[in-house]
Amino acid sequence: MTNLKDTNMIDRDEIAGSNGRRFMWVIVSGLGIVMAAGAVSGYLAAHEAQGGGAIGAAGILTLCAFATIIIGLAFAIWRNVSKMKASNEGLTRRETLNRNMIYGFVLIGGVIGLLPAFYDTIVGNSDTGPPLLLADSPMPPAIALMLIFFWTVIMPIIAWFWHKRAIDEQEASAYRDGGYYAAYALLIGAPTWWMLWRGGFVPEPDGVAIFMLFALIWTAVWFWKKYR
Amino acid sequence: MKNQLKVLRAMRSWSQADLGEHLDVSRQAVNAIETGKYDPSLPLAFKISRLFALPIEEIFDDEFEGY
Repeated sequence: MTNLKDTNMIDRDEIAGSNGRRFMWVIVSGLGIVMAAGAVSGYLAAHEAQGGGAIGAAGILTLCAFATIIIGLAFAIWRNVSKMKASNEGLTRRETLNRNMIYGFVLIGGVIGLLPAFYDTIVGNSDTGPPLLLADSPMPPAIALMLIFFWTVIMPIIAWFWHKRAIDEQEASAYRDGGYYAAYALLIGAPTWWMLWRGGFVPEPDGVAIFMLFALIWTAVWFWKKYR
Repeated sequence: MKNQLKVLRAMRSWSQADLGEHLDVSRQAVNAIETGKYDPSLPLAFKISRLFALPIEEIFDDEFEGY
């Protein structure tokens, strides 16, 4: 709330005020492209596992649908980036570093997601099961070691640098709020799922799903608090 | 919390990014403080106070009516 509602101060910052939403769409569209590419990869792997050969009309239709989604999301990225540039938003050095790191995270995340997906496709590791990255089946040691190295060595370094250099106190506050929401969702949600399973109401708790939901809630609240 | 940040910034013809550089925070943080969506920490409030050479209570108003 501000006491300046009656003034007519319009500067470029007011035009750029909604860039947070555009930035969110760029990130969501980027992730959508990675997921759609993963789905195409999984579809082709399943097709190969079932004997391969020519893809039928239904298959072509499915691949066309995914291609349309990817093109649509790429268009959304281009449009939102254009609008962000047109708003002439001024970014501080800290914010520029912050955004570049987020773009880097999406890129690295995409590569980490796609590498096992390509492994699935090329080696035919997965036919009907979940993608290699999310499955609980054995994984090639080289890929496992690579992912472990990233998660236990690279991630903490990036996180340390991120919190020390890239974010400010408003974003740190958004992170803390996200952590509260995610922690309470975990503390309440996980035992509830467990009890529901023991009562025979739902399937067995899935650790990967719980982890993904935890991360998703944290990220969503962080974004909402930072850019609202 | 109500504040005079936008007026003080405009008096110096600073953009939100300019003020953010002076305070070493993001433009988004300046925007959030100006619009009352985020209340700065005490150290940041002092930094703002020193930057504009004004007491904190002349920049920020918690709308407390008094005992």
